[in-house]
Amino acid sequence: MTAAPAAEPAIAIAGLRKVYRRGRKETVAVDGLDLVVRRGEVFGLLGPNGAGKTTTVEVCEGLTQPDAGDVRILGRRWGQGEDDALRARLGVCLQETHFQEKATVRETLALFASFYDGGADVDAALDLVGLREKADDRQSQLSGGQRQRLAVATALLGRPDLLFLDEPTTGLDPLSRRQLWEVVRGFRARGGTILLTTHGMDEAQQLCDRVAIVDRGRVLAIGSPAELIRSLGAEHFVDVECTDTSAVGTADLAALPDVAAHELRPARIVLTVRSVHTALAALLALLRERGVGVQGLATRHATLEDVFVRLTGRTLREETTP
Amino acid sequence: MRLRVVVAVARSTFREFWRSPDALFWTYGFPLVMALALGLAFQPGPPPQVPIAVVADADAAALLAAEPRLLVEPLAADAADRALARGRVAASLRRQDGGLVLRADPTRPDAESAVLLVERALRAEPAAPAIAPLRREVEDRPGSRYIDFLIPGLIGLNLLGAGMWGIGFNLVQMRVGKLLRRLAVTPMRRSEFLFGYLLGRCLLVVPESAALVGFGALLWDVPFRGSLLAGLLLVAAGGLAFAGLGVLVASRARTLEGVGGLMNLVQLPMWLLCGTWFDTSRFTGALRWFADLLPLTHVNRALRDVMLEPQGLLDAAPTIAGLCAFAAVCLALALRWFRWQ
Ligand SMILES: Nc1ncnc2c1ncn2[C@@H]1O[C@H](COP(=O)(O)OP(=O)(O)OP(=O)(O)O)[C@@H](O)[C@H]1O
Ligand SMILES: [Mg+2]
Repeated sequence: MTAAPAAEPAIAIAGLRKVYRRGRKETVAVDGLDLVVRRGEVFGLLGPNGAGKTTTVEVCEGLTQPDAGDVRILGRRWGQGEDDALRARLGVCLQETHFQEKATVRETLALFASFYDGGADVDAALDLVGLREKADDRQSQLSGGQRQRLAVATALLGRPDLLFLDEPTTGLDPLSRRQLWEVVRGFRARGGTILLTTHGMDEAQQLCDRVAIVDRGRVLAIGSPAELIRSLGAEHFVDVECTDTSAVGTADLAALPDVAAHELRPARIVLTVRSVHTALAALLALLRERGVGVQGLATRHATLEDVFVRLTGRTLREETTP
Repeated sequence: MRLRVVVAVARSTFREFWRSPDALFWTYGFPLVMALALGLAFQPGPPPQVPIAVVADADAAALLAAEPRLLVEPLAADAADRALARGRVAASLRRQDGGLVLRADPTRPDAESAVLLVERALRAEPAAPAIAPLRREVEDRPGSRYIDFLIPGLIGLNLLGAGMWGIGFNLVQMRVGKLLRRLAVTPMRRSEFLFGYLLGRCLLVVPESAALVGFGALLWDVPFRGSLLAGLLLVAAGGLAFAGLGVLVASRARTLEGVGGLMNLVQLPMWLLCGTWFDTSRFTGALRWFADLLPLTHVNRALRDVMLEPQGLLDAAPTIAGLCAFAAVCLALALRWFRWQ
């Protein structure tokens, strides 16, 4: 195996395009996507259902043939006679896999372990995902979350350099989710690179070094979670429920100190602010002066979800409709 | 190909099969039960009576009734024709132009006995009018019982069934469940998978074939006159050939229904035309050509040769080699066309 130059990114995607055709119906799953994942980082693809995350990841894994674009994985391209050598360096957890129903967890792992020439430690993988107690249970006896963890364990077996995790925490309880985050962090600490997809903005925020926000097959924004949130221009939200806002105008809201954006509804005011204490005090003073009663008040820190809403006008839970 | 991986895939495949009692039963148990039932149904005993229609002729009827192996049915002319056409009688006898005419369908297995029995009955009575001559061909194999004929055919048929039922559905299930695409992103080579997989799914053909030979020998004294090694290699090569065919049939199907249909399409002609149930060595023309194209024809012929005649490894070698070549072609095509997702 010839080591690629250290500067070579783990994944480099340029102008990726993938169209699914069924009869005369065409679905553009990925539409000119560019992306670079550096070595040693946890990179997240964040986007709603149908955004093209799985398609992008599966092109990287060599499972899907792109219609256009250049994809380099660890410095190599698929289909140039080195595929098996490349696969030996990747760990993959697909969005969905049904392992053999009658095989136990340990047997499934042993099968996958046999594929890797360096040998793979089944027990270590079991411990990593916390399935040691279930090692001798058959696939059919596992819960959904346990199956998901088994899928992650198969990805870790070959001591990969690059790990693809397609929605690894979907269906996991909060504790297992945290455990899996630890697995991801441990993998990175040992020098590995991870590309994961998620709809969970908290997951992206807590786990990823960098995130690409994807929608309709394109990258809308790319950067560290903190950078993306900073790009909103303001990092806090003030959300006030009130009796009747007809006495207040949008100009009044815009004139408040430290307000970056405002939204005025019949019984609700939402402000995006740079500083909570100055803006909130001014807002409450304004409402008191106009005789508007306050019924509820909440402030929160901006999240990646807000970045997504700003970029698309939709929430992450709304499906992409191409 | 790395042996370690082939063995691992074979083990895991076999285990999955072994732990699915229903799949195991329908692939291996049921054919065995059927073989037993067929064996019992055709077990050697006093030869069965041969039904024959006699058209409006009381004298001839009385004459034939003296022959205990004939079951005489006096019928009207058109009823006799219908009975013959439907195969309810083996032959029909009628008086015509002062002589007796015997009509029989020469493709029916008991037509020949009918002719012989009628001849014998009439010869016993010198006054009887001559029968109009009937063209027929003579069985060229030494007079064996049907059960001797059937057992090798059933072994062949089971090899076919194991390759089809044992592989088709399961492989497509793995495709539907996206397990194949998960395997495709590991450094497992395609050939390692296919080879290990068909080994794991078809290992049982050897014990099952042995069980059939054993049952035959134990219950009905069906002989095994040739080389046991040749028989073993034939079974292994046949199993490999049909497993290869099974993988090929399942190489692209995306649904269980789809692969079920394909398997039936492939199996049906072989069920009928490859000499499992009746001798097809006298096929001619296009039918002959087609039957010779089907691997089961060769498996059945070679198995019969090695069981019923004192044949050695050399006699079976061409068939074994041919079956291996057939398996290789199937696997090469499957490897090329195989859909991993
Ligand atoms: N095999 C396929 N055939 C046809 N269309 C497909 C296929 N796979 C995906 N698509 C379409 O391509 C688009 C992108 O799908 P993709 O699976 O990449 O989205 P995703 O971001 O992974 O979504 P999710 O969060 O739901 O997993 C969707 O509109 C989907 O309907
Ligand atoms: Mg997806």
